[in-house]
Amino acid sequence: MTELIILLGLPLIGIGANYLLRSRKAQFGISLLIAGLHLGVSFLIFSGVVHPADNEFIRFDALSRLFLLILSHVYFWVVLVSYSYLNRPTLVNEESGKRLYFMMLNLFLFANTMALISNHLGLFWVASETTTLSVAPLIYYYADEESLEAMWKYLFLVSVGIAFAFIGLLFLTLSASGTAIAGQQLLISTYTRYSVLLNPIWLKASFIFVLVGLSTKIGIAPMHPGDIDATSNAPSPIAALMSGSLRGTALIGVLRIYQIMVPTATAEFARTIMVIGGMFSLFVAFVFMFKVVNYKRMIAYSSVEHLGLITLGIGTGGIAFVGAMLHTVFNSLTKMVLFFNAGNIHRSYRSREVSSVWNVLNAMPWTGWLFLAGFFAIIAMPPFGIFFSELMIFQGLMSRPWLLAGVMFLLFFIFVGMSKTVFRMLYAAPPSDAVQAEIPAEKFDIMHFASIVLLAALVALGVGMPAQLYATVVQISKDFGIVL
Amino acid sequence: MENVLSILFCLTLLYIVVTSRLKTYVSILRTQGILLSAIMVFPFINHLSVHILIIPITSFIVKAVIIPRFINKIVIDLDVKRIVEPSIQPFNFLLLTVASMSVMFVSAHVLSGFTPIEPIPFASAFSAIIVGIYIIIFRKKLIVHVVGFMILENGIFLFGTSVAGEMPTIVELGAMLDVFVVVFLMGITINKIRSTFTQQDVSVLGRLKD
Repeated sequence: MTELIILLGLPLIGIGANYLLRSRKAQFGISLLIAGLHLGVSFLIFSGVVHPADNEFIRFDALSRLFLLILSHVYFWVVLVSYSYLNRPTLVNEESGKRLYFMMLNLFLFANTMALISNHLGLFWVASETTTLSVAPLIYYYADEESLEAMWKYLFLVSVGIAFAFIGLLFLTLSASGTAIAGQQLLISTYTRYSVLLNPIWLKASFIFVLVGLSTKIGIAPMHPGDIDATSNAPSPIAALMSGSLRGTALIGVLRIYQIMVPTATAEFARTIMVIGGMFSLFVAFVFMFKVVNYKRMIAYSSVEHLGLITLGIGTGGIAFVGAMLHTVFNSLTKMVLFFNAGNIHRSYRSREVSSVWNVLNAMPWTGWLFLAGFFAIIAMPPFGIFFSELMIFQGLMSRPWLLAGVMFLLFFIFVGMSKTVFRMLYAAPPSDAVQAEIPAEKFDIMHFASIVLLAALVALGVGMPAQLYATVVQISKDFGIVL
Repeated sequence: MENVLSILFCLTLLYIVVTSRLKTYVSILRTQGILLSAIMVFPFINHLSVHILIIPITSFIVKAVIIPRFINKIVIDLDVKRIVEPSIQPFNFLLLTVASMSVMFVSAHVLSGFTPIEPIPFASAFSAIIVGIYIIIFRKKLIVHVVGFMILENGIFLFGTSVAGEMPTIVELGAMLDVFVVVFLMGITINKIRSTFTQQDVSVLGRLKD
């Protein structure tokens, strides 16, 4: 019970406290305390020290435990860097956005935790809709025309998407009619146990609707545009939060429906759809990597690429599934590094356009080198963790040479497109007619500290995989009927 | 009785397609809210209890009172032109809607042959979902998009009541609250859009692209 109070109760208290407190320092202190406790409890649950009791609504299986740890970990770093982020000189007119910032972060933590550990699909739906509501005001942080448009599009597209996911859940209810579990609650545990009884046609329809609906949040093509606009216009800690954990929360919804389908004959159908979705996301990332002129959008498209890879890995099954699960962990770490440093660049150069950023390595050495390291991590350069998880996905694809060839081709050109942009930003000399304000000399700050720790963790996790992490991922694979 | 109410619900959809006045849109939303609450109450009309009435009453308050009022208030505040500015001829729109509805009813009839669904509420629900999407696609004003979204949600609610299996009260209340807050946030956003841009239709939202 204590775990639940810390995981769900404390963020709720945090919402109230942050509403009442006016001092930003106090808001930050209380939010950081909650984030730290949340991370501690998630870690204890993940490592098996604490075994919370499951009940009708709440369940801590291996999948929830892994995603819960990802959420608290990303959230902790985001809160940690937020204070210095909020104290920066104002770029546009974000003063009004700062008041709600920590309150909405606490709501975000509450809703995401609820979504990840819920065993009732209806409850999952309510919680994931709440995550949208918590993140929408944060997207509007800068209070300019772009962020307003991004917020409207995100709010509207995702709300319509979530409505579609609800239709999917109703189809799931329909699939049970006439069976032993007809009229029962939409519990994941019940439906997984009796899944062979379910009507396959409604089950397939349910999967399609849930996948298409939640794709707006996961960012799988072709439903990705709202997500791209939102992540690229949100302040960088929020963008890191969205790329690192919010997409995972939506992904777990799709995984739950897939988990129900695994023992049935419809599983092959779900896998095919996920492979198509993953490939299409890679293709979209491939096309837009050459078109983007805005570096935050570039990182957002990189999220489309990596979530596509994860979906592809889940659809391929076998060792690729294991790779996909590890990839969610590593992707969340790398996206934080990239967005934190992109935020630093944005602050100094006051532009998100690639064309008005040059010579970052000399002007901002800390940020420049860390951004470069983050870029190497995201393109799966060894020894960073993503290298190992992508290798597992490729290994799983070995049995489908055409698919593997396609993936390799797309990934290579994504790498080319991305490096073209990144190296231009880092190395290019300023144009002769540049009217660029002096970039102030850079001091080592908390964002750099976070990036270094995260990159070190990325290497450590990849090279020396902790037994507990691997065991959890293997347990998830077992839950999804994968024999390794 | 549910069938009669569902048919009435379908008629409101046909009406919303041909009308072009914003005020009518809002009153149709209100009518749909009343119809939905009535549909929820009817199966239990002979053994009413406080517990059963919680959801219909909340849905009545949210869907038939608060949200229409809120949208009305935005319309007055914004001082927008009180017509909806379609991007499609009303007659063609009606034709399209009728065709989609017919497809829905025929397929619901076919489906009811081998799965236990109520064809009329099922088809009405999906007609509402489709009409909601059409309104979002074919109308330009953002406030009308919110109405389209609400019609879509109403359709999903109707679908939810037509399939067996009850959600727990807390989940249903949560869902209702979420929908309400979404509409509320959308309203706030539209207000902000008014103070930032000169117009309040989709044409102002074209800055973010690659």
